[in-house]
Amino acid sequence: MIRGFLGLAGVAAIGWGLWLLRDDGLERWRSQAIWLAGGVLAHDAVLAPLVVLLGVAAARVWQPRARAVVAAGFVVWATLTVAVANVLLPIGGRPDNPSLMNRPYVVAWLVFTAFVIAAAVIAASRGRARDRV
Amino acid sequence: MRALIPHSEDFTSAARGPATTARVGVWLGVAFAICFVTGYWSHLQYAPPAWLPLGPSPSWLYRVTQGLHVISGVAAIPLLLVKLWSVFPRLFERPPVTPFRAVFLHGLERLSVLLLVGAGIFQLVSGSLNVVQWYPWDFSFRATHEAVAWLSIGAIVVHVAVKLPVIRTAFDAGTASVDDAGAGPSRRTVVRAALVSSGLAALLTAGQTVPGLRRISVFGVRDGSGPQGLPVNRTARAAGAVAAASDPSYVLQVRSGERQVALTRDQLAELPQQTHRLPIACVEGWSQTAEWTGPAVRDLLALVDAPDGSSVLVRSMQTRGAFRTSVLPSAFVADERTLLALKLNGEDLSLDHGFPCRIIAPNRPGVLQTKWVRSLEARA
Repeated sequence: MIRGFLGLAGVAAIGWGLWLLRDDGLERWRSQAIWLAGGVLAHDAVLAPLVVLLGVAAARVWQPRARAVVAAGFVVWATLTVAVANVLLPIGGRPDNPSLMNRPYVVAWLVFTAFVIAAAVIAASRGRARDRV
Repeated sequence: MRALIPHSEDFTSAARGPATTARVGVWLGVAFAICFVTGYWSHLQYAPPAWLPLGPSPSWLYRVTQGLHVISGVAAIPLLLVKLWSVFPRLFERPPVTPFRAVFLHGLERLSVLLLVGAGIFQLVSGSLNVVQWYPWDFSFRATHEAVAWLSIGAIVVHVAVKLPVIRTAFDAGTASVDDAGAGPSRRTVVRAALVSSGLAALLTAGQTVPGLRRISVFGVRDGSGPQGLPVNRTARAAGAVAAASDPSYVLQVRSGERQVALTRDQLAELPQQTHRLPIACVEGWSQTAEWTGPAVRDLLALVDAPDGSSVLVRSMQTRGAFRTSVLPSAFVADERTLLALKLNGEDLSLDHGFPCRIIAPNRPGVLQTKWVRSLEARA
């Protein structure tokens, strides 16, 4: 009952979204389709397989316990990097507008990266110390 | 070739699976719901419907809703990535071959997930690029971001309907089967890391709108500085307004029906001045409070005997870009805090902030705070 209602409401919302796009015309539809499909492809064909390969490599290098620490650090580091990629990449901003994108983002990112590595090393060595006791 | 494509059983991480997906998914759902509601709210500001009496109070409302919109969008990115990671093996599930019903249902579900993922990624990517003002596409950002928001929220609701039994089982199973895995990170580790990253992403960018976080938000698109202590969204040069705005023979036209007056900037400065502290709140998620000084718009309308309850069509001198005109609804016109500002933080407006004069009203999106104003026209 609840599921049926949710399903109908969802389909109605999708229908409304498509209706809003109805007048855009071929050129815009093409661009919208490219960006809609492009995001899926970028994730499914590039980002996700890359993470799988890194996982396989990590399994060869690190023992299971250390791997948990590395994985936690990697999740935080990688997902945050993607979340702020808009300021890290050389895109956007305006040469005539110094009040936009006016922080040292790459430096901040390097410091953040160093923090994550330090935290992972500390966590891993604590884990080892506990194992010895 | 067949051997190159993995099967869903080839993925061995114990941290993947419904327990992770459901937990991260709930947070992701909350983030998208906030984005959807605040985004819809923002769209209503551009063309307020008759059933919704949008007004100038409280002056900080739009600042909060739009700040929240962008913060929750940024926070959603790590959650979406981890959620997709947790279900990635399912991409390689081989579809059923018979019976027809099973094939059809499988195909339908795949299609709904494609829309779910496609629309979700689209919203986060296009929003992120809008924030840094990069538009490498052939569609209107605002209209498409709105339409795809409906696709996205609709696909989420359909997805919840389809997955409700799986979600229930995932939460009922509790945490029993979690931390015994000897093969790397546990489910709990991954979920916690996702939440930490999501919170960090919010914290490290929110300073563009939350004043106390400005120094912490090292990835914020704006650090709060700018000419006269306030960031600029579009410069006079980008708007093609330099020539007209710096013309010494500038006059402002104020009109109501047949009545019309033309005022030089000096004459505007001789009218009774008001000073108010009001935020500029941009759709791109940044906001900042400043002190504005100038005549109230309603006092200017009184010069041409505009009837009470008039709205005002504001025309800018900008020659490039969208929003060259805006309409101030009557509720904003009636408010004494709605100014034709001549000064910002005690100084004459700089060219990039809208010299010779600009609109500043409480509780409005930044793009409707028209700069380089050429004329005000009362409308019934």
